[in-house]
Amino acid sequence: MSDFNALISTKTIDILPISEQALKQINSQIANQLNTGVLVLDANFNVIIWNRFLQIHTDKVVKNTLGKSIFSVFPELPERWLTRKLSTVLQLNTPSFCSWEQRHHLFELPHTRPITTDSDFMAQNCTFLPVETDCHGKHICILIEDVTDVCHYQTQLKNTLIELEKISRIDGLTQIYNRRHWQESLEQEYSKSRRHDKKLSLIMLDLDYFKLLNDNYGHQCGDMVLIEVSTLISSLLRVEDIFGRYGGEEFAIILPETELSGAIDLAQRICNIIATTELIYNEQAINVTVSLGVAQLSTEESNYEELITQSDNALYQAKALGRNQVCSTA
Amino acid sequence: MSEFHLTEDQQDCLEELINIAMGQASDQLARYLDTFVYLKVPSIESVDAKELMQTLSQQENTMAVVSQGFFGYEGIRGEALLVYQEEDSGRIADLLGYEPDELSQDEQLIDISSILTTTFLNVFARQIDNQMSYNAPKLLPSAKDNLSEHLQQMPFSWDLALKVNINYQVTDYSFNCNMILLIPETAITNIKHVLDRILAEF
Repeated sequence: MSDFNALISTKTIDILPISEQALKQINSQIANQLNTGVLVLDANFNVIIWNRFLQIHTDKVVKNTLGKSIFSVFPELPERWLTRKLSTVLQLNTPSFCSWEQRHHLFELPHTRPITTDSDFMAQNCTFLPVETDCHGKHICILIEDVTDVCHYQTQLKNTLIELEKISRIDGLTQIYNRRHWQESLEQEYSKSRRHDKKLSLIMLDLDYFKLLNDNYGHQCGDMVLIEVSTLISSLLRVEDIFGRYGGEEFAIILPETELSGAIDLAQRICNIIATTELIYNEQAINVTVSLGVAQLSTEESNYEELITQSDNALYQAKALGRNQVCSTA
Repeated sequence: MSEFHLTEDQQDCLEELINIAMGQASDQLARYLDTFVYLKVPSIESVDAKELMQTLSQQENTMAVVSQGFFGYEGIRGEALLVYQEEDSGRIADLLGYEPDELSQDEQLIDISSILTTTFLNVFARQIDNQMSYNAPKLLPSAKDNLSEHLQQMPFSWDLALKVNINYQVTDYSFNCNMILLIPETAITNIKHVLDRILAEF
């Protein structure tokens, strides 16, 4: 390899159209105008060279830096970990890397973004390169790139994706699950209970005379009722129950590992709490009631849709019998 | 047989170079880790793009993939993928000489991958009178879903990939992973030139 290097460098020098002195000056000016921190250490990890980028981003004085151990110049560095990392570079003669995604920063340098991101310090990608000299042996060059922008936008993107994820599952008005997510959950719960031979019950419920309520008090009142009813029902549920808005004024609750009697019990409590809670709209007391249909998964159904049909039928029965009551398939 | 396929002689020569590089790399590694490293003779396969996509997407328990680009003179370049199975990654921090709480699992995988890739490719490059530079290694987010997507989004189209199965036994436990070298079409032509040159010297 050394032969090959020699070949390249002699070649380069032979064809170099400028003097070595000029080359040195160009190199050092480039190094000092780079928007990247350059730090060179000797084999004992003492700082030998640092460029302007580091000088202006740290408040450190040259005489306290050059010739001093990197760990005394930058006491924030994780000493044991970095020692091992630097030794790897020296010993294996291979580059090593440290990305902001694993460690936000190594060096506590201020960043130039005016808007504060989640850290006071510049996010960094660091590269550790082995550098060999003829008479002074092995060195390590540390390149410190400012990636605060990348980090900032990546974090924003991540948060947006989480928010989108959430929005795609939630009904905007009532803040409970929307139809799509609720139905996906039912499909999962259905196959789970089939696979593990577990009980599964379903409640479908509908607000009584909701159209009339909208006509008499306006749609804003209707919206308020939907929100209040969702809150009331949510307060009666267990964490594992899956509550969603099925349609306009229709709601549905998946009850995993629940048998029919338990589901009827819960449906009755929902029926009572809604009938006895007075809702206030524009200082007017409004009373609403709900009709509920309950069904439990039996050996009959061959898909989850049939379970919906079962509870839907029970719901229509409750409506037909005069509303404000619970009916079940049994 | 496409123009990018290696002849039998070229394939033999390349396998030999990889074997030597892998041997020297593991020797360096043993000294670095200060432990006895036993390296099984790596199995080397060259696979075409379609085949590789299939194998990789079929691997159910692939836990992580770390990718790192490499660049040498004479247009020798490509991307190294280190593929880990679930059971491979238990004691990497130990192997590297770190305390487990000093670095995350992700960082451990990235570190060991970078070390394996760069030590191996440095030796390999030296044998063909070349010299490599490297990109920062990157852990692909959730390997399973994104691997084929990643392969499709490569900045180059590639027809040939070298799959090198590396198996290290380190005293009281074993370490396994697959190294896959993806070589773009243009670089294959360049590698073939280099191989022909080496073959001519014998």
